[in-house]
Amino acid sequence: MKRARAFELYVAGVCVILGILLVGQVRTQEYIGKSQIPSRRLEDLSDMLRRSDAERLILEKEVEVLREQVSKVVEGEKAAETVRVELARTRMVAGLAAVEGPGVIVTLNDSKRQAGPGESPELFLVHDNDILQVVNELFAAGAEAVSVNGQRMVATSEIRCSGPVISVNNVRIGPPYEIHAIGNIDALDSALHMRDGILDTLRAWGIEAKVQKSAAVHVPGYKGGLYFQYAKPALEGAQK
Amino acid sequence: MMLPAIGLVVGIIIALLTPLRFPIEYSQYIAIGILAALDCVFGGIRAGLQGTFDKTVFISGFLVNTALATVLTMVGDKLGVDLVLGATVAFSIRIFTNVGIIRRYILDKWFRKTLK
Repeated sequence: MKRARAFELYVAGVCVILGILLVGQVRTQEYIGKSQIPSRRLEDLSDMLRRSDAERLILEKEVEVLREQVSKVVEGEKAAETVRVELARTRMVAGLAAVEGPGVIVTLNDSKRQAGPGESPELFLVHDNDILQVVNELFAAGAEAVSVNGQRMVATSEIRCSGPVISVNNVRIGPPYEIHAIGNIDALDSALHMRDGILDTLRAWGIEAKVQKSAAVHVPGYKGGLYFQYAKPALEGAQK
Repeated sequence: MMLPAIGLVVGIIIALLTPLRFPIEYSQYIAIGILAALDCVFGGIRAGLQGTFDKTVFISGFLVNTALATVLTMVGDKLGVDLVLGATVAFSIRIFTNVGIIRRYILDKWFRKTLK
């Protein structure tokens, strides 16, 4: 009987463990049942959960990468947009782009008056100097864009006598001369009509000078070649 | 013969007094553990009744069988093969065999007693 009791003791020990496990497992199964999940399906579900968790992690990383790309693209677009706007502005300032705005159109034509005896007929012609003065006056009055017979005044423009005609931007032009200027209409007009100003002087010689105010003056862009052989952007001003 | 039953009751009471619950993902391992324990208990009783009980064999058998079953389940989980079924079947067969032997032993004893 004593020997029998010894083995019973060990078996009883395992039985205690068995009891604990049984109750725990029953509770777990009850809990699973309560959550309305058949235990057979549980494995599949937990597997799906694991997989979708992993998937979610990958997608999250993808979202991060994409977000970064989007911000980079937006930044790039912003930069490109800034450059584009800057370029358009620079082209306009440089006179490469056609512009439009309020301003005046000055028309100059040779005098119809016949030169009297002892008078030089040259005095009754429109000279390069006259046009230069008009253009100068217009710029002084705040003109933002000026063209002479469709030749836009740019940094390299010249107005020079070229025999019977006048050379502007190395293009020969003849009368009548039409000077387009964009700027404050009143300022431009009054600058031209200044007492003893350019128009007074020209008219004294009988040169036909007409100033026409317009709300929409068209000034074409410079169409010639731009070739800077000697001038290079100076370093300190060359960041942009 | 009362001691194992008392032990079972004690274990159940202990578990009931504590808020013990296993994580759901381990429920399969607990199930195989219960089978291993059951197998062990019946094997122990059989050995005891036959007089061949050895505590070292008993304890080591319980531990090793449980560990093996758990490892099998784990490996099966990883491989996608239900190796746990193998362990379940093996334990079940042993339990049935042991219970059968115990039954016969008890019947034998009882009949001998009553026939005498």
